[in-house]
Amino acid sequence: MKNTLKRRNFIKLTVSASGALVIGVHLQSCMPKKKIPEVYEFSPLIKIDTDGWVSLIAKNPEIGQGIKTALPMILAEELGANWNKVKVVQADYNKVYDEQWAGGSYAIILNWDLMRTAGAMVRQVLVRAASQKMNLPIEELTAKNSNIVHVKSGDSLPFEKLIVEASQIPLPEEVEFKSMDSFEIVGKSIPQVDLDKVVSGGVEYAIDVKLPEMVYATVLKNPVFEGGITSYEDNEARLVNGVVDIIELNNAAYGGRLIAPNSPNFVNGIAVIGKSTWATFKAVKKLKVVWDNSSSRKENTDEIFVRFHDQLSNTSIERKDGDIKKAKRSAALNYEAVYEVPFLAHATMEPMNCTVDFRDDFCEVWAPTQNPEALQEGLMKLFGLKPEQIKIHLPRIGGGFGRRYYVDYAMDAAILSQKTGKPVKLTWTREEDIRHDWYRPGSVQKIAASLDKEGMVIGWQHILANASRKTSLGREGGPAGTEIDEYDFPAGFVPNLQFEYGHVLSDVPLGQWRAVAASANAFAVHCFLDELAFINKMDPIDYFLEFLGPKRMVPVVGDYEFDVERLITVVEKVRQNSNWDTALPKGQGRGFAARKGAGSFIAEVVTIDTDENGKVKILRVDAAVDCGIVVNPSGAKAQVEGGILEGLCAALYGEITVKDGATVQSNFHDYQWMRMGEMPEINVEFIKNELPPRGLGEPPLPPAIPALANAIYAATGKRIRKLPIVNHLVD
Amino acid sequence: MPSYTIRVNNAEKTVSVDADTPLLWVLRDELGLTGTKYACGKGLCGSCTVQYKGNAIRSCTLPISSALEANITTIEGLSPDQNHPVQQAWMELDVPQCGYCQSGQLISAATLLSKNNNPTEDEINAAMSGNICRCGTYTRIRKAIQLASSKLDK
Repeated sequence: MKNTLKRRNFIKLTVSASGALVIGVHLQSCMPKKKIPEVYEFSPLIKIDTDGWVSLIAKNPEIGQGIKTALPMILAEELGANWNKVKVVQADYNKVYDEQWAGGSYAIILNWDLMRTAGAMVRQVLVRAASQKMNLPIEELTAKNSNIVHVKSGDSLPFEKLIVEASQIPLPEEVEFKSMDSFEIVGKSIPQVDLDKVVSGGVEYAIDVKLPEMVYATVLKNPVFEGGITSYEDNEARLVNGVVDIIELNNAAYGGRLIAPNSPNFVNGIAVIGKSTWATFKAVKKLKVVWDNSSSRKENTDEIFVRFHDQLSNTSIERKDGDIKKAKRSAALNYEAVYEVPFLAHATMEPMNCTVDFRDDFCEVWAPTQNPEALQEGLMKLFGLKPEQIKIHLPRIGGGFGRRYYVDYAMDAAILSQKTGKPVKLTWTREEDIRHDWYRPGSVQKIAASLDKEGMVIGWQHILANASRKTSLGREGGPAGTEIDEYDFPAGFVPNLQFEYGHVLSDVPLGQWRAVAASANAFAVHCFLDELAFINKMDPIDYFLEFLGPKRMVPVVGDYEFDVERLITVVEKVRQNSNWDTALPKGQGRGFAARKGAGSFIAEVVTIDTDENGKVKILRVDAAVDCGIVVNPSGAKAQVEGGILEGLCAALYGEITVKDGATVQSNFHDYQWMRMGEMPEINVEFIKNELPPRGLGEPPLPPAIPALANAIYAATGKRIRKLPIVNHLVD
Repeated sequence: MPSYTIRVNNAEKTVSVDADTPLLWVLRDELGLTGTKYACGKGLCGSCTVQYKGNAIRSCTLPISSALEANITTIEGLSPDQNHPVQQAWMELDVPQCGYCQSGQLISAATLLSKNNNPTEDEINAAMSGNICRCGTYTRIRKAIQLASSKLDK
């Protein structure tokens, strides 16, 4: 019977009856004199020991989004656990937990019901055990603070006194959730788990892992995308103290372009193996490489954007409602504008790194990855391994933002461990990290609107031209990409509407970036709406509310409907909180944008000041958010603050340029990020409701960009149609 | 390789490394003090900040041969059990997101308060301008420094 539960699919476990079992795991084996508590595993996510400690498994990787706290909070809530006697344990990658990737703001959306179910199941067997032991009806018992309580009499039994009996009771097939008004953990600001370790340097990130016999590695990749290696000379590099070996990573031949979905690894390079990180960093600079750039398009950013512009008139239609030509003919005014957004890097504070011990046909990995699924699949395909030959640990990660959706750096580390026969910690320099990113696609976007006599939009044409993420990963052989989707805003709001996509092929490696296409498209759409407001001599928020129309459900595509009332509510809230309708001194201005993303509704107002040179100082940002139930207000607010900062940074400074087929930028001096003094106060208000919680990682980011650009217009009369803003401020 | 004796968190440590080895890599790879982080290697982002001679310095650009004269305080040595006022304030306000830059932020903040226990907002911004946070914790850091300052005042 032992361990059988572990192999069972967790989804199955939560819907079908199965017995809990006792396992002999010793959590405190280092305390010999104390009686070691017995641990009872009730499900892959919940263990309770005889000292009353509840261990909850955090199944998703923590990249700073607070998920290691939020998911266990939901479990603890339904279980009725005392949070002060909860230990949160980070899961390794394991199929039993179902999906473990971090991306698209999906973790709470996908796991809300799952966590509640898993917690409620175990609560119900504890209640049943208490009912038997106390000889009281089940209906009169409730779980509270790790006790099963009889409310009428006040009698109670702690979990630890029930786990032996409870472990004999099969998990129920049906669960009953707690009513939301009885929530004691969800909805409260709970400080993140590991906070004490973070403030004392005690968290072990992947970059901190140290294994016996481990060697260090770094890599120099051909800076030119699609480039190879003709030859190299490493005599000088080998003379550096501590250098153990130099290994060519001929990845194009090794794994092919795309080892597995989201597992691209085709950039050739040369790795230095050494006894310390510094030895490898020093030696890698002494390599003399003749790169083979014959397959490169040798692109330059200016030329790429000329091709984007050209492709605006050579498009495929991604959505077509009504007839935009007819609308154009009958319009009182036709108006259009063209917007440009640059390529962006992720620049996570923890650079790409991975530690792998690949010996004796077993591959153990400590990976800062948002995508353990892709990592496992990549390792299986690259080395012909079976799942049981791979173990993936998921340490806390120093930022993801979409970069760690791709596992190229982990593939390199595995190759190097296999080749050296030793555990290898591969650390990319910041320069490699910036130059070998999967960049947010740059794009050119044209929006053309037809307005009736009242200034309302009767026709909307949005044309986007760029090189797409999807095509980039598979290049010509991959699926054709598009960066504008049929469900994008304002689909459903305008009777005559057309989305078009102009596809360009480029060598620039492209990938997911926080909020993905919305990070770019929101800038065009919401700056354009601001322009329309001013053309109509209307207040931008008034105009936006008229554009949205009455409170209703707007059908967008298939079953997907847009709840206009929820968006209007956050717009009105932010209008009030930002003092939108009060006058500002000369040189100051407010900008607004509001959107739906990942199921959440967010409205933002950015207030700025400018000096005589047009230099922008952001004074404050107000945000009103409806994400349904707020699981952890402190963590949720952090996500909003973070998304806004990232949007503002991108708008002000973010730009990756390409010259002769390689990235120009290399570190934080030329890939700028806002400093503390530039970051204003951010005032966030959450709308209270009992709707299911929705995503928050991405949605706060896109509105910040147009809100800032619109504020600059309000303050200076200058329209920003091309990002980053810093390029407009050169005197 | 030459041998160097440095004083880290008030304990003497002897290591054999090249003279140009940055203090950061001595702390991380030789001494196992991994709370100090690598992020840029060029003194641009502050993730590697440690305290040396009473100043917040970037350990990624300070060669070990120049770090022999005084005690070096790393995040691990800031307090025995997370009870430095900045650590307490950080926990009270739930400051970190990914947490990777926070060791450097805390050392910079502690250094500021050691010189000026009641800094203005501008003084905080100036003292912290060398520390990048990629996640967006700046506003909470600023509040945490003000909170720590109020704790010191009492």
